[in-house]
Amino acid sequence: MPHDLGAVRNMLKNAAADLLARRNVVATGVGYKVAQGSRTEELCVVCSVTRKLSVAQLASRDVIPATIDGIPTDVVQTGRIRALQPPTGRHRPALGGISIGHGSITAGTLGCLVKKDGMLVILSNNHVLANTNDAEAGDPILQPGPIDGGRFPDDQIADLTEFVPINFREPEPPSRCPTARAVIAALNMLCRAISSNTRYQVVTLDTEDNLVDAAIATPLETTMVADEILDIGIIQGVAEADLGSAVKKSGRTTGLTTGEILQVDVTSDVDYGGGRTARFRDQLLAGPMSQGGDSGSAVLDDGDNLVGLLFAGSDNTTIINRISHVFSALGVRR
Amino acid sequence: MRLTAAILLMALATAACSETREMQSSIQEVRARHVDRLMATPGVVSVGIGRDDEGTEVIIVGLDQARAQTVESLPASLEGYTVRTQVVGKITPQ
Repeated sequence: MPHDLGAVRNMLKNAAADLLARRNVVATGVGYKVAQGSRTEELCVVCSVTRKLSVAQLASRDVIPATIDGIPTDVVQTGRIRALQPPTGRHRPALGGISIGHGSITAGTLGCLVKKDGMLVILSNNHVLANTNDAEAGDPILQPGPIDGGRFPDDQIADLTEFVPINFREPEPPSRCPTARAVIAALNMLCRAISSNTRYQVVTLDTEDNLVDAAIATPLETTMVADEILDIGIIQGVAEADLGSAVKKSGRTTGLTTGEILQVDVTSDVDYGGGRTARFRDQLLAGPMSQGGDSGSAVLDDGDNLVGLLFAGSDNTTIINRISHVFSALGVRR
Repeated sequence: MRLTAAILLMALATAACSETREMQSSIQEVRARHVDRLMATPGVVSVGIGRDDEGTEVIIVGLDQARAQTVESLPASLEGYTVRTQVVGKITPQ
């Protein structure tokens, strides 16, 4: 039996305070009930919660009854509701998708929170939290990042914990070792003497390919951070992305954007400036979904599972570390 | 009699060998075998596995800018898998 809007409104007026006092409830309102993902014509009381839990996980006083005075209820997970604040602003608690950075950089994005030895830590890129290998554990991390007005010590949110060093390729492949060069010169003289077409050259061995551009920082206090992502909400789990996976990220510069994994098993040369190029392997490649300042964004699939860490891109591509490599390299987990 | 048997055996072995040779490697194996050479080509900034318009998996070579010479020098296919090129531009940290 459908109820009219007036009746539902009246009931909610009386019940709102009691509903809002229950655990995780952040808003109440009148809306249409959603059943199996589709909107029905039935009016109901909608309770928005930070996290949807099963009845078994809740104390009986916190459970939202299925009906109140015969009017049905609906529970929707919205995450925490906060005053609209741009990702470049100062956030306390700080959450994923907002500006952050080492004091010597401009700004990047706070990806999300992960656990290291059971402690909550902030995950982002090496080039965001550790100034591209040029930092030491304990360095202050600012939120927002310096270009967004973050200053030490007022805006310090964390200490750098550790980073995975980025291996850069040698700008000049031929070796400069004098002994090696002398030996090669002698060998080439011999080749010429015996009229061989062969010539030898010594080269510096390629440095090891990289899997991640990643670092973690320990919040000064756990109350200064929140385990969710701006405009996305709570991370549901961890997954592997594949060719064709729909993905999204929330970043400091371009906010919430979506894309698709267009290439996997990607080997890519990333130009860090100053003649430094680093080769990355086993990367994910998506279409354009980021710009400068979005580095460090957590990348999630359409089920809100964490699949990657955004770190580089061009005008028409975005390069993403696989989250499994990030977790193994840093010894962290969700 | 023995000679016939020996010839038959050799023919069988040869057939088995050529079959092994013809067994196709996966696109991942082929990409891995050729990636260093492809990345050493001037202007190549990425090599990955993607799909063409028909949904078939192909090897995609990314270039820093339009480079006719490089495109010409790259193979059209590798061990049976199509090689596509696309201009992705210079890849930088963001």
